[in-house]
Amino acid sequence: MSINRVPISAGLLLLVFLFQETFVNRINFYLGGFALYLAFAIAWILREERSSAVLIGFLAGLIADLSPTLEAPFGLWTFTMTGLAFLIVTYVLGSLDSNMSPLTLSIVTTIFCSIALMLFVIFGAILGQDLPSLSVLARELIGNALWSFVLAPLYIPIAIRTHKLSLSARERS
Amino acid sequence: MATRGTNRARLLLVSLLVTSLLFITLDLRGVSVVSSIRGFTQSALAPLQSFGSTLISPIGQFFSDLLNLNNTRERIDELEKENQELKAQVIFNKDIEGELKQLKGVLDLAGKARFKTVSARVISKGGTATISESIVIDQGSNAGIRRDMTVIAASGLVGVVKSTTASASVVMLMSDPAFRVGVRVAGSQFMGILSGEGQNRFSLQMLSAAADISVGDVLLSRGSSGDAPFVPGVPVGKIVFVENAIGQLTKQARVESFVNLNSIGVVSVVLDSRGNNPGDALVPSAPRPAPTVTVFVTPSPNE
Repeated sequence: MSINRVPISAGLLLLVFLFQETFVNRINFYLGGFALYLAFAIAWILREERSSAVLIGFLAGLIADLSPTLEAPFGLWTFTMTGLAFLIVTYVLGSLDSNMSPLTLSIVTTIFCSIALMLFVIFGAILGQDLPSLSVLARELIGNALWSFVLAPLYIPIAIRTHKLSLSARERS
Repeated sequence: MATRGTNRARLLLVSLLVTSLLFITLDLRGVSVVSSIRGFTQSALAPLQSFGSTLISPIGQFFSDLLNLNNTRERIDELEKENQELKAQVIFNKDIEGELKQLKGVLDLAGKARFKTVSARVISKGGTATISESIVIDQGSNAGIRRDMTVIAASGLVGVVKSTTASASVVMLMSDPAFRVGVRVAGSQFMGILSGEGQNRFSLQMLSAAADISVGDVLLSRGSSGDAPFVPGVPVGKIVFVENAIGQLTKQARVESFVNLNSIGVVSVVLDSRGNNPGDALVPSAPRPAPTVTVFVTPSPNE
């Protein structure tokens, strides 16, 4: 990953984060909610190579930690996303086709969104955060998975295009 | 070469994980730089969120309404009827009218309790990724708002101020799993602790084994020392189910909040209770039954 890609990638992720905080959070979704930023970041990570995926995961987590309504300690999303990015590129991408179809990408993104949320809750609990009840947690996870999958045709193409935009000419070819 | 690449990736992973653990440690130890980063983000986001709130408010309920068409049908009918009545009058913007209604309600409540308040619009909510229940309001420390102040709406308690910036504040909603408030039952004065459980669900744990509670009992905030974080006498909710499990030392109950936390547009932050304890004065009045007219028909002797 060229060093030039870091500010471009961070800028694009920041834009999606701002969109999430400004617009998406205001929508009352049926059954839980929708973490567009998380889904977008994971779709992006799924298209990266190993070392760059870890760096993108770190950046994505760092930006997620900026959310002013977040109760968890600063750095928890950074930790979760960095670890998850490594897990994805090391153990998952190898067993999948490198040019995943949009449907596969949507399914894998949805699954890893739920895993990311679960890991975040587990790490939070280890650090002494208050946990919601199991039913509430299940509702949030199911709701987020549902919307991540249903709205995938909207955000996946954008994630693919913006990812391509961030690549240098040599990396694209 | 592949091993070198793998080692490089592992080294990068370890260094980034250590960095994130460092952030967590610094935050848990209360280092001001880390904790003020979110304050800075909130200050930067507040104008955008305010704009987004105006833009999104007409469609904010779209997804939930889509799946609750039966419930919304009645509401739509009601609104259509209201719309007919208002045709002759000046056409108001529906959103602004709704906010004014909420504002009037909350000012009535604060006025009855003689609280000094500042009103604010809700400009954002906590997202799914935060796993917390919170809102952002468009007034901050410039308006006199500080951490641990009580936030109320027209029907009662909303939550407590968690953090502030110059122009915005984050409010922890009473449905947040970390939320606890001391309450007393209006009338009997039995005391308990109300906890948020997410998604507008609440549980009540009574403090005394002798406490006698029943469905419909109204709960009021008990108040805190120095009125922070809670001022006394604010309506919190009513008991909808009393759990009678064997082996429990004290009674537990399910509670329904007076405020619908999903549709609050305007709230008030209590700046000063002025030492007032409204007692049971703020208990919402029960809806009046419609008067019934009984007509007795007596047959006349001529028929």
